[in-house]
Amino acid sequence: MIGSKILLVDDEEIFCNNMTKLLQNRSYKVTAVYNGESAIKALEQEKYDVVVLDLKMPGMNGIATLKQIKELGIITETLLLTGHGSIDSAVEAIRLGAYDFLTKPCEIDELVEKIEGAWRKKDDAWKKDMEEKLKKVVESPSAVFKLFV
Amino acid sequence: MDKRIENKKNIQYSHLFRRFILLTMICSLVPLLLAGWVINIRYSRFARERMEKTLETRVDYHRKIIEIFLKENKTRLDFIARTHTIASLKAKDQLNHILKSLNRDSWTLTDIGIIDENGDHMAYVGPYDLMDKNYIDTFWFKEVMERGSYTSDMFMGFRKEPHFVMAVLKHENGRRWILRATVNTECFRSLVENVRIGKTGQVYILNSKGIYQTSPSSGGEIMTLAPGFESKLHGDVTFRFLEANHTDRKVRQIVCETWLKDPRWLLVVRVNENEFFEEVRYANRATLVSLHLSALIILIVTVLITRHMVSVIKRGDREVEQMNEQLIQAGKLASIGELSAGVAHEINNPLAIIMTEIQLLLDSKKRTPITDQAFGEQFVDSLDQIDKQVLRCKHITRNLLKFARRTHSVMETVDINVFLKEVIDLMEREAKSDGIKFTPILDDSLPTILSDPSQLQQVFLNFINNAIEAHEDNGYGVITLTTGLAKDKNGIVITVADTGSGISHQDIGRIFDPFFTKKSPGRGTGLGLSICYSIVKQLGGYIHVESEMGKGTCFTLTFPLKPPEDLNMQG
Repeated sequence: MIGSKILLVDDEEIFCNNMTKLLQNRSYKVTAVYNGESAIKALEQEKYDVVVLDLKMPGMNGIATLKQIKELGIITETLLLTGHGSIDSAVEAIRLGAYDFLTKPCEIDELVEKIEGAWRKKDDAWKKDMEEKLKKVVESPSAVFKLFV
Repeated sequence: MDKRIENKKNIQYSHLFRRFILLTMICSLVPLLLAGWVINIRYSRFARERMEKTLETRVDYHRKIIEIFLKENKTRLDFIARTHTIASLKAKDQLNHILKSLNRDSWTLTDIGIIDENGDHMAYVGPYDLMDKNYIDTFWFKEVMERGSYTSDMFMGFRKEPHFVMAVLKHENGRRWILRATVNTECFRSLVENVRIGKTGQVYILNSKGIYQTSPSSGGEIMTLAPGFESKLHGDVTFRFLEANHTDRKVRQIVCETWLKDPRWLLVVRVNENEFFEEVRYANRATLVSLHLSALIILIVTVLITRHMVSVIKRGDREVEQMNEQLIQAGKLASIGELSAGVAHEINNPLAIIMTEIQLLLDSKKRTPITDQAFGEQFVDSLDQIDKQVLRCKHITRNLLKFARRTHSVMETVDINVFLKEVIDLMEREAKSDGIKFTPILDDSLPTILSDPSQLQQVFLNFINNAIEAHEDNGYGVITLTTGLAKDKNGIVITVADTGSGISHQDIGRIFDPFFTKKSPGRGTGLGLSICYSIVKQLGGYIHVESEMGKGTCFTLTFPLKPPEDLNMQG
């Protein structure tokens, strides 16, 4: 979806910057951070539609970051990138609630496709969330004050 | 190199073999033989001494018999002389009657006569015509006149035959007369020889001058001088050995001698030593034969047992060696696995960057098209090629990671026969176009196994692919797949045999090493067989390979009916 906000997390700065440019060329709004801690901070300050997360990073790795993201309780989808062709960590990541994974190196079109998928899923989740909130407002109008607290 | 090591090992085994044999011989054969020989020698000596003593006793006893015979006859003559007067003896038939009485039991005396002091016969009974003979000059007459009684040696006398006489002197009314009798030579000889000592044993008597008094059975005339006679008067029985000429060869004889008291005659018993000690020698031989036979049996059994033991050791060594080889291979694979995982990951990151750079350049070109057409084409071509090479690298790293990160297996019941048919179906088209035929020989009674079908598929596709590629030089061939139950019935055996180019002796030890390939660069990574090896290993099986250059290769895969318990499983 054009204009989707994407958070790119990878310790390889050159890769990260290149990927940012490529995604920006494809009309995404991209923020790049180079480690898990910065990613969490960024997510606390701003909303992102899709997080593209590298599995292997110094400090907080992809799995740990993913767990933290889930703890934040925000509506976002996570796509994992891995240099490791291992199924194990990818399977673990999906079990933890990641949308999908991609192995490095990957074609940009492949990534875009997955991002689109992730966005749709996030969008569905957001709509569902909204409907629930609306329902609550309809049922008890006073609840409208609680909605944005 | 391998042959040299094998030779060295064979030399070591033969050293071991020899050492075992030597040790057993020192510990068992040498004491056995020593004890056997010593006991045998001691026993022989003891037995011989006993036999010698027995012979001496018998000879002594025989001497006494002869002495009693002579003394008895002399006593008889003496008794007749004492109890008769000359007149009564001269009476008609009286002397004849006496001779008959004396010879009643056996023909002991040949004749009997009475001789006056002038040496003339006064009376005579016997087979010879001697009444007119005068004995005044004969030696025995002189001796008897001097001593009163006398037993002569053998002499010829008037009758011209070997004989000996006994005579007693009688004083009667101032006159002297002699009662004289001749001992029957034949009777005396049979008395002397009446002692049996073996077949070659002979008994004879010599007088004090060494003249034969009876003729020995092995030549030697009566009344001739015995060869090699030495006069040594003594009372004991003597025992000695003698080298005697017997027809054409020398024979050792035992000579046992003893002197008679009256007359002084020498009783001689001679017997061949061999014959005399025959029993001892027989016992001796029997003991030695059984002793050496036992030693031989021990030796043979030792050799057989040792050979068996060495072969058991050899087999054990070989098994240990094979196990070591497999351990080394597994270790090699494991360390390479770790290394390659690290390398693959590190390479994937730069590859990813290269990939993004390609995309960036392509994006830039889209935005600002290149005006120089040739440059533009070269630009696209190069990027395309870079992209292809990155993908190739990615393929390699993915394989490496597959090889390294094989941690989970999904277990299912697999009917290997059905499974192999599917694999053959998959490969048949490719094989047919290469002129290769499949010959499956499948054991219908094969049990199913619990294994990972996707991993098995990877393994068999790889082996069959290799088998097809082995026929590249020929362009045609046969791939034979067989299945069967393992010997120990705890697994199944699958063979994949091709009729291709084969693997050389130097290469066969390296085919499972990662990155070992004979294919041209870019056509193979050299990872296929090492991945197969690690998969089979992980599934609890093992691979055995036999190959002959120009004839083909046969891979034998053995899988257990159930995977090892320590296998990390899913499913």
